[in-house]
Amino acid sequence: MKLQKTNFYRILSLVVLVVIALLFLFPLYWIVTGSVKEKGDILIKAGESVKWIPSTISWGNFGRLFSATEPLFKVKLPIPFTESIVTLTGPIVPRAVRWLYNSVFISLAAMFFTCLTASLAGYALAKKQFVGRAFFFSLIVCAMALPKQVILIPLLTVMKNLNLVESPWAVIFPVVGWPFGVFLMKQFSESIPTSLIEAARIDGAGEFRTFANVAFPIIKPGFGALAIFTFINAWNEYPLQLVMLHEPQAKTIALGIAGLQTEMSNDYGLIMAGAALAAVPIIVIFVMFQKYFTQGITMGAVKG
Amino acid sequence: MANSKAVVRAGISSQIKSNFISYLFMLPILVFFLGFVILPMVMGVFTSFTNSNMGGSEFVGFSNYIQLFQDKNFLKSSVNTIIIVIVSVPTVAFFSLWVGSAIYKLKPAICSFFRCVFYLPVVTGSVAVVVVWKWMFDVYNGLFNHGLNAIGVQSVNWLGDSKTALLCIILILFTTSIGQPIVLYVSALGNVDQSLVEAAEVDGATKLQTFWRIKYPAIMPTTLYVMVITTINSFQCFALIQLLTSGGPNYATSTVMYLLYETAFKRYQYGYADAMGVVLAIVIAIFSAIQFKVMNGGTAE
Amino acid sequence: MKKLVSIALAAMLLLSTFSGCSAETTTAQKTDPAPATKTETETKTTPDAATTPTAPETPSAQPVEISWWAFPTFGVNSGYEQEVIDAFAKVHPEITIKLTTLDFQAGPEALTSAIEAGTAPDVLFDAPGRIIEYGRNGKLIKLDDMFTADFTKDVNNEGVISACKADGTAYMYPLSIAPFYMGINKEAFEKADALQYVNLEGDRAWTTENFTKACEALAKAAATQVPGIVYCGGQGGDQGTRALVNNLNSSSIVNADGKWAIDEKGIKSLELLQKMVTDKSLDANTAYAAADELQAFQNGVAAMSFCWGTSNSITYKSDSFTQISVPFPSEDGTPSLEFLANGFCVFDNKDDAKAAAAKTFIQFICDDGIYGPQSVVKTGAFPVRESFGNLYPDDAEKGLLSSWTKYYGPYYNTSANFTAMRTEWWNMLQRVFQGGNVAAEVEIFNAQANQSVTPAK
Repeated sequence: MKLQKTNFYRILSLVVLVVIALLFLFPLYWIVTGSVKEKGDILIKAGESVKWIPSTISWGNFGRLFSATEPLFKVKLPIPFTESIVTLTGPIVPRAVRWLYNSVFISLAAMFFTCLTASLAGYALAKKQFVGRAFFFSLIVCAMALPKQVILIPLLTVMKNLNLVESPWAVIFPVVGWPFGVFLMKQFSESIPTSLIEAARIDGAGEFRTFANVAFPIIKPGFGALAIFTFINAWNEYPLQLVMLHEPQAKTIALGIAGLQTEMSNDYGLIMAGAALAAVPIIVIFVMFQKYFTQGITMGAVKG
Repeated sequence: MANSKAVVRAGISSQIKSNFISYLFMLPILVFFLGFVILPMVMGVFTSFTNSNMGGSEFVGFSNYIQLFQDKNFLKSSVNTIIIVIVSVPTVAFFSLWVGSAIYKLKPAICSFFRCVFYLPVVTGSVAVVVVWKWMFDVYNGLFNHGLNAIGVQSVNWLGDSKTALLCIILILFTTSIGQPIVLYVSALGNVDQSLVEAAEVDGATKLQTFWRIKYPAIMPTTLYVMVITTINSFQCFALIQLLTSGGPNYATSTVMYLLYETAFKRYQYGYADAMGVVLAIVIAIFSAIQFKVMNGGTAE
Repeated sequence: MKKLVSIALAAMLLLSTFSGCSAETTTAQKTDPAPATKTETETKTTPDAATTPTAPETPSAQPVEISWWAFPTFGVNSGYEQEVIDAFAKVHPEITIKLTTLDFQAGPEALTSAIEAGTAPDVLFDAPGRIIEYGRNGKLIKLDDMFTADFTKDVNNEGVISACKADGTAYMYPLSIAPFYMGINKEAFEKADALQYVNLEGDRAWTTENFTKACEALAKAAATQVPGIVYCGGQGGDQGTRALVNNLNSSSIVNADGKWAIDEKGIKSLELLQKMVTDKSLDANTAYAAADELQAFQNGVAAMSFCWGTSNSITYKSDSFTQISVPFPSEDGTPSLEFLANGFCVFDNKDDAKAAAAKTFIQFICDDGIYGPQSVVKTGAFPVRESFGNLYPDDAEKGLLSSWTKYYGPYYNTSANFTAMRTEWWNMLQRVFQGGNVAAEVEIFNAQANQSVTPAK
């Protein structure tokens, strides 16, 4: 009797769970199917029923989305000791692909620099005594919870003076400067046994060598957690992108899609194709690395 | 004597050297942290005492701050922000705990499927899916009203009615907030000592009792962490509002963050907007100080 | 997998380390036509300049890159902007133009942050409202030298010329003008037997009384889901709702002192609209901006649009019903129409070469023998230059629209604080349609809209 009752609750909660999960998947389903629907299938008109499944598959939406083009990248390299500048221009790709590239670039670069700077600083804060250590640490803790948006306007002035507006670095640098990473890596570095560091020193290893050979292997899991956090953070750092990047070649995928939604607001198919492009690649990445994501999130929480 | 002096000198020089090396470690982050976080903050505080706008800037003392607390829209936006936090935090915590406990014992593949589904909105961000939400909430041809009409209920202007608009925002925010807590709860519940649970069951403890006595203490730190990140998340809610409602109707969905943006970029009142930023920063600082205190108290045991 | 990611990361970092960091500095530098490096690189000179290394040293022949930001006045995604750029490149190969298209909802904010960041475009295609505001704040190059005696004589319309100026200084070089008006769904009106209230004869002017009757008939017959939507979800296309309010009782939004002020008549109009919304003979939607309303009109959700105009009638053309253009209804049947002036301004980016190039480009778009008139046609509007003549000789509808010139009311978009007023406007509408007391809400509007944000010079 009791067993039956628990089973009943378990099944009921599972059913509820499945329903909620389907609701969560619905927007994605609607975007993906919408991106290959004809216009008439996307809009619900009064008195008509919702077309849950596309009646025909059409790639025209993507055709329109990909009609504008940009070079994949354009890098200006000054040649030392001369005044000329060499411009490396990438292959011409659809503009939307360029947006995707920009998003990936921003996220990867932010990830790389955050991991690098945060692990060095976290190590120093955890394992070294130096003047101003307590001060820096409390400054970092204080700044951690603040949303970046509160400093949007002055940040714009800073970037203006560095000539970085319309450049991905205008988004990357503030993300790297955000001190959560330092805090996290400090927590991880606490677990490095001091005896190991001292042993390395006695063996004559230099400071950075000690860091690379002794500390790094121990804080490596934290590295992964931080990398994932920063990637998602930078990917979704919408307000900063909104203020710093406007030109078509500078936009990220999120900005590009948001722009399409207002600019082409009566071309639903195009908007859906754009949304699909924004959502699907990152989901594929996420599903592929799901294990690392889960580990990273958990680890970040345990230490953070 | 001379010897000990030399030792002291060596000590000092090695101390300087060690300090120097520590700063080398700190240097990269300090460049970014001071340049792109602290410097803008200081500039923001400074600008908040001016009437900086597109045409120029003049020092105006505290008048921005005085105006702020008489500004109905600011007060309304503050209340909205608080509502979002107060509603979101417990809902997210309860719901994710429920999902977590419902799935953590399932087969690993199924468990990770659910985890994955609930985490998807976090990865995709709000911008990509907002177009679908906008359509679902549309008053004339939206999916929700379609459903309501089918059962004979009148259409609701979800995003256009001040009674429902904020709820819609909270709902969408909710979908993007629960992914991480669920992952955390699954792992925390998985770490609960099963032998203790079994022992308690053998002793005839009810489900509720085992939960409170054994599981709850084990997941308490997680709950606190979930509350902290949800609070931060809720304070930051911006993209949704910008894309869906522009803060309307009549500031019913405006948050301090959104109002700041509107004041700066639609009204060109940079000084005033920075004053909002300063106030918001202070409030968040107080909030997180409290939470850090609680959290440290919670994890100390 | 990890290796793959790290390789990709390293490659990307390497590639883009210098992108952006060195942006914008190139044009300032003297670009000696650099010895072409053998790799697949490309020097920063335009192809033409590279083939003629002995280009004269005049400033105009120096390669210049200027940026052009455009609101979709040539039509959304029409491709015309690029067409003009390509044509211009043939005449002025030394000037490269980088195009960014904007939309009316998010574009203004993008402009603000770009101006604040010092990355404002060189050329902006917009309308006087914002342009004059930027000019007043010292962000623009004065265009007085482009307003030659010949040009002013050719335009021969003091209203248009003054719409381009703030305090006597010209900031916008105008291309075309067109009235704002309403669109109605003919079939829906027929279905509701409401076409009798609409005047389809002559210049189609109609009265407020007939407008309310038509709305009631539409609501009663449920010809469409809602008769019309008074949208107030944002500033995009808000001139439509202002024109509606101003026309219903022939009021003005600017008082004799040039301050923003809704008068007694305006209050009456707002009260009428509020009542119609309560009676469901109109709908107000605080979540809709003009673009949403236009779509609702195009999709047959609403039977009329308050944001109809020459370019929207192309973008939001319906294949399933007939869209008829009518002026806004007014008390005595004499509408006072707002007109849209399309034109260009040049931002002061502290670079004379760019400013000169920008002016050359503007002149090409507006005054070139072929592209001048074509640009006007692409905006769907009417030329400001009389010498262009009638560009739509075979189009009776256009003929009618151009005859509405006589109904053009005073142009208020150049009044101070225009941008702040717009935000106050749609917020005021939101309060009114959420059941606020009209007189009280108007009072708030009148007070707030005049609160100057610009410090006294």
